[in-house]
Amino acid sequence: MHAIDRRGFIKALAVASSASILSIPNAHAAKPRARVVVVGGGFGGATAAKYLRLLDASIDVTLIEREAVYTSCPLSNEVISGDRAIKTLQIGYKGLQKRGIKVVQDAVTLIDPVKKTVATASGNSFSYDALVLSPGVDFNYGAVAGLTEQLAQTRLPHAWKAGPQTLLLQKQLAAMPDGGTFIIAVPPGPFRCPPGPYERAAQVALHCKHHGKKKAKVLILDANDSFSKKALFEQAWKELYGYGEGGMIEWVSGSNDGKVERVDPESMTCYTGFGEHKGDVVNIIPPHHAGKIAKDLGLASFKDRWCEVKPDSMESIKAKDIYVIGDACIGGELASNNAFPKSAHMAMSQAKVVAANLVAKFNALPAPQAIYTNTCYSVVAHDWGFSVVHLYRVRDGQWVYIKEGSGISPVTFGTKEKPEPVPRIYRRLEVEYADGWLRNVMADAFT
Amino acid sequence: MRKVALVVALFWLSGAAMAAIEIDVLARTCNNCHGVSGVSVGTSMPSIGGLPREYLKNVMKQWKYDERGAATMNRIVKGFSDDEIDALAVYFSKKRWVPVPQSVSASLLAKGKDAISENCEDCHGLTGSDPDEDAPKINGQWAKYMQLELEKYRDEGFKMPHRKMKKTARKMKQADVPAAAHYYGAQSK
Repeated sequence: MHAIDRRGFIKALAVASSASILSIPNAHAAKPRARVVVVGGGFGGATAAKYLRLLDASIDVTLIEREAVYTSCPLSNEVISGDRAIKTLQIGYKGLQKRGIKVVQDAVTLIDPVKKTVATASGNSFSYDALVLSPGVDFNYGAVAGLTEQLAQTRLPHAWKAGPQTLLLQKQLAAMPDGGTFIIAVPPGPFRCPPGPYERAAQVALHCKHHGKKKAKVLILDANDSFSKKALFEQAWKELYGYGEGGMIEWVSGSNDGKVERVDPESMTCYTGFGEHKGDVVNIIPPHHAGKIAKDLGLASFKDRWCEVKPDSMESIKAKDIYVIGDACIGGELASNNAFPKSAHMAMSQAKVVAANLVAKFNALPAPQAIYTNTCYSVVAHDWGFSVVHLYRVRDGQWVYIKEGSGISPVTFGTKEKPEPVPRIYRRLEVEYADGWLRNVMADAFT
Repeated sequence: MRKVALVVALFWLSGAAMAAIEIDVLARTCNNCHGVSGVSVGTSMPSIGGLPREYLKNVMKQWKYDERGAATMNRIVKGFSDDEIDALAVYFSKKRWVPVPQSVSASLLAKGKDAISENCEDCHGLTGSDPDEDAPKINGQWAKYMQLELEKYRDEGFKMPHRKMKKTARKMKQADVPAAAHYYGAQSK
């Protein structure tokens, strides 16, 4: 393989980035350094911390994160099927430390928005001029009767936060016999990673197809009536694994009694309004909401679940100088059903908006125009992937969804009247790009 | 309603409205996939920092106006005005080209050298480091990416614009494709 001279490359990278990115090293040497505390070291928080330092090295940035190592949710469905080593999704915080960011491994216990302080479990307190909250999501286990957090860590992993549960689900799938049923229960939207459950169904089917489990079933019990990239998933499922009656993958929509309301962990049975479904592996994704720390602060003003923010800055509408990014926030063009997707790429985009905004603010410069982009790949087989892209701008203080710069991979070529199949090279390329995307976003956020 | 939507669209397409967005801010959205300063660390994604301005501009416009096929980029650039595309091309062309020399076996390198002297050298040179608007720098570009690009040129179902590239790529032997890509990927200068 093409092993690269890693040290030389990283050195070259460091030179390239320091030489070319606009930085304001000592713009306010006389003034006290601005202090920013970032809570949560996922794609959003890491990117915010990095870009603050990249754009203005005089800012004092502290990142508080519970874990020592981050595990990427994107592409973690490939770990469940056994196609990807979880190590390829993991990264620590050394890269951010090298940028002069103070990385504190601790849990945040209390935020005081009046005194502008953040307290942690180990008894430390951090003062801030601006606080960036990127807490991700917490799960509402009570929404599915019979489900508990303890069950999610043992018998019924949701694996909707990558890590130990991802490996647990992988083991359960590997142990599933031919003829077994793998149930995926999808919560009502909006949820983290809109195409994730359906990509997972394909990855489970891929595992079964290649491991002598041709009679296995993947049953998606959905609380919703439609889903992200639906036409692309259904096309791929049909062609690759069989879909619907007699196929390996079956999808039950919300209006067809797909919403799981109760689970019996002993008999591994999911109960919907009128039906019951027994599984060999039961993967219930519980409904979730903005991370507890943001919710406790009263920032989750949207349906008591998500944090509303200002379009040009990502500042909370509820608390001054607190910026909420990533899966915890809600934004986009809600009226046209084009909310921000809860994705890693989107979180990074939001983080860059916050960083640019704060740097301008601290240096008494006008706030720059905000722009938000998203790219999200789904891998459904070794040689079959597709994507969705989003573009949002801000006009008159409102998010505008730019249709021309958004959309899914083509389902067919040709015309509406005479559709033609999309050449396979397009699908194959997007599998390769998914991997390239992953490596680049990990580097862009964490190094 | 239709009229309002059209006005909005025109507003975004017009260069004047775009003056408000700083090129640094816009370019930062490219970093996710192409790296800070256009230096990619993902083998399937090209580095773009330091490529010729005309090349960058042409490729993006070809995607925007459906003159060139793409799996993803053609959708992304359609949201950018022509002025924004020009500004992005200038921005990334001013960055330093950072080759990522990838090591290859001596036998593949030798095979690659034969393959490129027969097919590529006329336009791309012996090391791929002397660019013009048709031939970007490819010394130390990711081999994986270049292999995928060659496969695009070789695939009848993939819309690619450059007649000479198509003709040459299609007459290459299958085994020469990765060899040529790895040869240029291994060049540091």
